[in-house]
Amino acid sequence: MSLLAIQDLEITYRTQRGICRAVDGATFEVPAGAVVGLVGESGCGKTTVARAITGVLARNAEIAAGRMIFAGRDLVGLDRRAYNDLRWRDIAFIPQSAMNSLDPVYRVGTQIAEVLTIRGGFDRARAGRRAVELFEMVGLNPQRLSDYPHQFSGGMRQRAAIALALALNPKLVIADEPVTALDVIVQRQVLDTIRDLQRRLGISVILVTHDISVVAYVCDYVVVMYAGQVVEAGATDAVLSRPRHPYTMGLYNAFPDLQRSGDLLVPIEGSPPDLFEPPEGCRFAPRCPFVLDRCQTASPPLDRTDTRHLSACWRTAEASELRNRAREASTWLHS
Amino acid sequence: MLAGRHPVLHAVDGVDLTIRKGETVGLLGESGCGKTTTGRLILRLEEPTTGTIRFDGTDIVGLKGPALRAFRRRAQLVFQNPFDALNPRFTILRALAEPLVNAGIDRAEHRARIERALSRVHLPGLDRIAERFPHQLSGGQLQRIVLARALVLEPEFLVADEPVSMLDVSVRAGVLNVMREVRDAMGLAAVYISHDLALVRYVCERTLVMYLGRVVEDGPTEAVVRDPQHPYSRALVKAVPVPHVDQSHDPLPIIGSVPDARDPPSGCRFRDRCPSAVARCAEESPALREIAPGRRAACHLI
Repeated sequence: MSLLAIQDLEITYRTQRGICRAVDGATFEVPAGAVVGLVGESGCGKTTVARAITGVLARNAEIAAGRMIFAGRDLVGLDRRAYNDLRWRDIAFIPQSAMNSLDPVYRVGTQIAEVLTIRGGFDRARAGRRAVELFEMVGLNPQRLSDYPHQFSGGMRQRAAIALALALNPKLVIADEPVTALDVIVQRQVLDTIRDLQRRLGISVILVTHDISVVAYVCDYVVVMYAGQVVEAGATDAVLSRPRHPYTMGLYNAFPDLQRSGDLLVPIEGSPPDLFEPPEGCRFAPRCPFVLDRCQTASPPLDRTDTRHLSACWRTAEASELRNRAREASTWLHS
Repeated sequence: MLAGRHPVLHAVDGVDLTIRKGETVGLLGESGCGKTTTGRLILRLEEPTTGTIRFDGTDIVGLKGPALRAFRRRAQLVFQNPFDALNPRFTILRALAEPLVNAGIDRAEHRARIERALSRVHLPGLDRIAERFPHQLSGGQLQRIVLARALVLEPEFLVADEPVSMLDVSVRAGVLNVMREVRDAMGLAAVYISHDLALVRYVCERTLVMYLGRVVEDGPTEAVVRDPQHPYSRALVKAVPVPHVDQSHDPLPIIGSVPDARDPPSGCRFRDRCPSAVARCAEESPALREIAPGRRAACHLI
């Protein structure tokens, strides 16, 4: 049973240059009690999707179509008040830089207490006890509740942001690049904390990231986005070890792996399309080594032959052969 | 009574390293470990409080005037963020010619030198990009321009500070490959400063691991990655996630977090985070010493 189902979601930004189709037909599900990685490169729409679910889209953004069914209820079209009831209590957000969720002029404890009293209806004494509990849960010394955010290191701030997000026992936590700004040792510790708490509390987490090794480390499922669309989705192991979409295959080749030595990293030539004037057909076609005539004219739908592993490619049926070819660096070198 | 002194922060403390001609060295460490300061010192963009830096036999500390300019021609910096490194109002041609103008290279030579640098980084000929502005190029192209700009003077030595950290993965691989080719084709000595072990491994023959202003380990990159000796390097290597699900989730062999650099622990700076620290570690600072041919580490327990 999924906690959240995103269906054919389309989000546009109105800009001086025209309409940018930042998310153009995204479909994926978040099962209850699972960690789902939303992965892709800059501009693929992953953060826009995350912000849409949280109800904090930019002013010039608009949900043009689609549904976001959360616990049986469509979030698209919810008014601000309804969203305010939902936020923190049902859906909480952890931003990339904890400085964005922590106000620099208030003590960290005061900010956690504020969420508890205003959003959660806690009285002050209970809020104080809960704040101590939350700090202990994320591995921070409760004495530091009286500190200001600047007195925290980057890793501690990110832990405080996690404590804040978990304050009212949400069902879903959305974390946007929560460890990108952290050093690798701190990153590992914060990821372990997120994973541990997610299991203990049985919540769902959407982890937005550009890093497929972070996905491999903590996510049960992964959704790969490219140029505003979902191109592949499934269990993490299946998607990373047996990718079905050429973009995922290319991403894997470009990613350094400390366990494999001597492998040449292979870039994907070219760059993503302009989302103001997206090309007809498959958006990855201009960079794809396996492109057919058909790909240039018709956009491939998410192939649902295998409901556990979806891929939006006309050649999904040939995936295992393409995978073999994709492992050769020469496949990706355009003439 | 109120006129307090600023506390002294030893950003880099007793770093001792040698880079041979044509050698590529990675300077690896977490934020605040002193790797960027070390890079800036090597290029004389920063003056050391004490110590010497010899480049081809000459101490560059205190170098002035023509001697400093001559050094600057031979040693170049590649900036981290290609979007900041180029003046948005300069055309690409002007950006690439600027180092040549500053070095007083004869104008007749500019074009050939720029073309040579562009072909080294696999960018199309100058005609195609000369009159463009930075915002008209992609991040990957810009980082190649930044690299080409560091190469137009045909330097012998290059320092690159997190040269690909701003780029997307699919594009980053291309820039890293260019850096490997430049390394092989020009035979220049280079220092790559990074927090990313996988990247350092990809381009550097030798790796130095820094912790709180000191070098704690130094050795051939493959040896450091496969068999790290210093307890800090061991934790660092273990902490790097890999892009497949088959990986260790064991707790890291490290305690707590990086202490305040203004007030580092006595003796070994890593001792309060080290799972195997003994009494001696608090009393005596371990020297960086040879532990095997070509390998050095600063730890009493090795």
